[in-house]
Amino acid sequence: MPIHEKSLIRPENLKTHDELVLDGIDVSGHWSTFIESRVVTDYNEALEEEIAALPGGEFVHRCWQCGSCTNSCTVNAINPDFNPRYWIYLIRTGMESELLRDKDIIWQCVSCNKCTYACPRDVFPEGVMKATAHWLEHKGHTPKSPSMHFDEVFTEQIVKTGKIEESRTIRRFFARTNQRLFQSWMIEMVKRMLRGLPIGMLTRMGLASLIAPRTSDWSAASDAMQEYIDEQNDKHTEALNLAALAKRPDQDVAA
Amino acid sequence: MTTKDKYKKVAYYPGCALEGSGHSYNRSTKAVGKALGLDLVEVKNWNCCGAMEVKNVDPKLQTYLSSRVMSVAANEMDMDVVMAPCNGCYHNLKKAEYDLANDEESVEVVDRLSKKAGHKTYESGQVETIHALDWIKETIGEDGLRERVKNSLAGIKIANYYGCMYTRPRHIFPEKDQGPGSESTSKPHFMDDLLAAAGAENVDFPLKTACCGGAHTLSDTDTSTKLVLNILKTAKLAGADVIATECPTCHSGLEMHQIRAEKVLGERVDIKILYFTQLLGMALGLKPRKVGVHENISDSIRFLKEKGLG
Repeated sequence: MPIHEKSLIRPENLKTHDELVLDGIDVSGHWSTFIESRVVTDYNEALEEEIAALPGGEFVHRCWQCGSCTNSCTVNAINPDFNPRYWIYLIRTGMESELLRDKDIIWQCVSCNKCTYACPRDVFPEGVMKATAHWLEHKGHTPKSPSMHFDEVFTEQIVKTGKIEESRTIRRFFARTNQRLFQSWMIEMVKRMLRGLPIGMLTRMGLASLIAPRTSDWSAASDAMQEYIDEQNDKHTEALNLAALAKRPDQDVAA
Repeated sequence: MTTKDKYKKVAYYPGCALEGSGHSYNRSTKAVGKALGLDLVEVKNWNCCGAMEVKNVDPKLQTYLSSRVMSVAANEMDMDVVMAPCNGCYHNLKKAEYDLANDEESVEVVDRLSKKAGHKTYESGQVETIHALDWIKETIGEDGLRERVKNSLAGIKIANYYGCMYTRPRHIFPEKDQGPGSESTSKPHFMDDLLAAAGAENVDFPLKTACCGGAHTLSDTDTSTKLVLNILKTAKLAGADVIATECPTCHSGLEMHQIRAEKVLGERVDIKILYFTQLLGMALGLKPRKVGVHENISDSIRFLKEKGLG
């Protein structure tokens, strides 16, 4: 598969004129396209360090831009704008405003790890994608992605009970992301599921969704994990210098 | 003790999906084990391995969850092999094993959390994690299967679909890519080998390790539907009647997005989706209900009857 690269020349920077004569030369139309010059001045020199401070981003500095990640990428094959190599380049050079142009699709990494498999420098691009998605959310550039909502609903249930009961997780996820649970394909799926199921299985499934399965004697593990999550959150807040951002007037009043 | 003997009695880690949407994989794995005279001892009071989600909140939390399962098997049950049929569980236990052998920070976090949780800390090397494919391949093997087949899968064309987590990233699977006899991470063949021994005809399927979008099956449904549709169509074009699966996330993803593609995109691909353990079980003479075919979302009963397996 060829490498689908993003053109550095963006469509909005292309200037064409239906009728334009400059110094007696006709430069109308596309035969002589003008490209608006672009000067980058707003580098974020700390960008690479910030990404590296988040889990998964630790090895972003190793990248030598071979493009194996983008070349092997599952999501890139269906959306050429999804370009891990380019984003790693932007992170390493501190071109934050360029990175932000793609902020709404970075979370779409499906964690297939084809990039990690192909990477000759052990950058773990899959981890960099997750770190970057977290960074965007932490900094307030994007709202929590549906994927992050799902991860949180899932993790909360495990921390609480030790196990996952799928229907509960799905219901909570749909509620948290304000989606209708019964979409046409979902109804069709449930219908087909019920078609062949014996009563015993239905009863078992019904019971599981009422009484969530749990690991016994889990409370000490649960507390230990919650404590660890809180500790990591504090660490990330500090690394990204978010304390200043988080200090809002209403919090001051509450304090 | 040879590997063959060592794998005859293993700690069985079904995981959360096999108690829910992947119940037919659970049922068929146990049924196949019974039919082959292999001993499965379920890990006591197990917990979730962290699936594909916990690592996105924090990777070391996932390492801890997976390490607890291995700690129970090693320290409370005195087992030295854990068998996980779910690719997600298998992958996470392997990843935890790798991290605990190579990353001091992971060792420190796991030790701290294990002590607070009140159980022994898992130490790398205490158990070996294997997949259901390794389990059958090592203990019974192709020759053993050929001797035991009662209903040959002859006439069934199969595309073997392994998914992402069974082979990637390769560094967590040090036993793979070790030359003849070992599993390959680029062109896996263990499932092909077993099903061929049961009489099936494996088609040349280029998307064996393609991604079904399972991680975002509900949070980015359009992407997942596109990825699944590509897998279904390619298998069909390769001439397959059935896609054989070895992972509950892949399996339910294929089934769910097969329906979604039909309902939302108007693209219907008529191909059956069965766990490899269901196919093996039927080849060993078990009825479709014994291997949970009726618990799958996609309906294969008529097809299986036509092929003489019903």
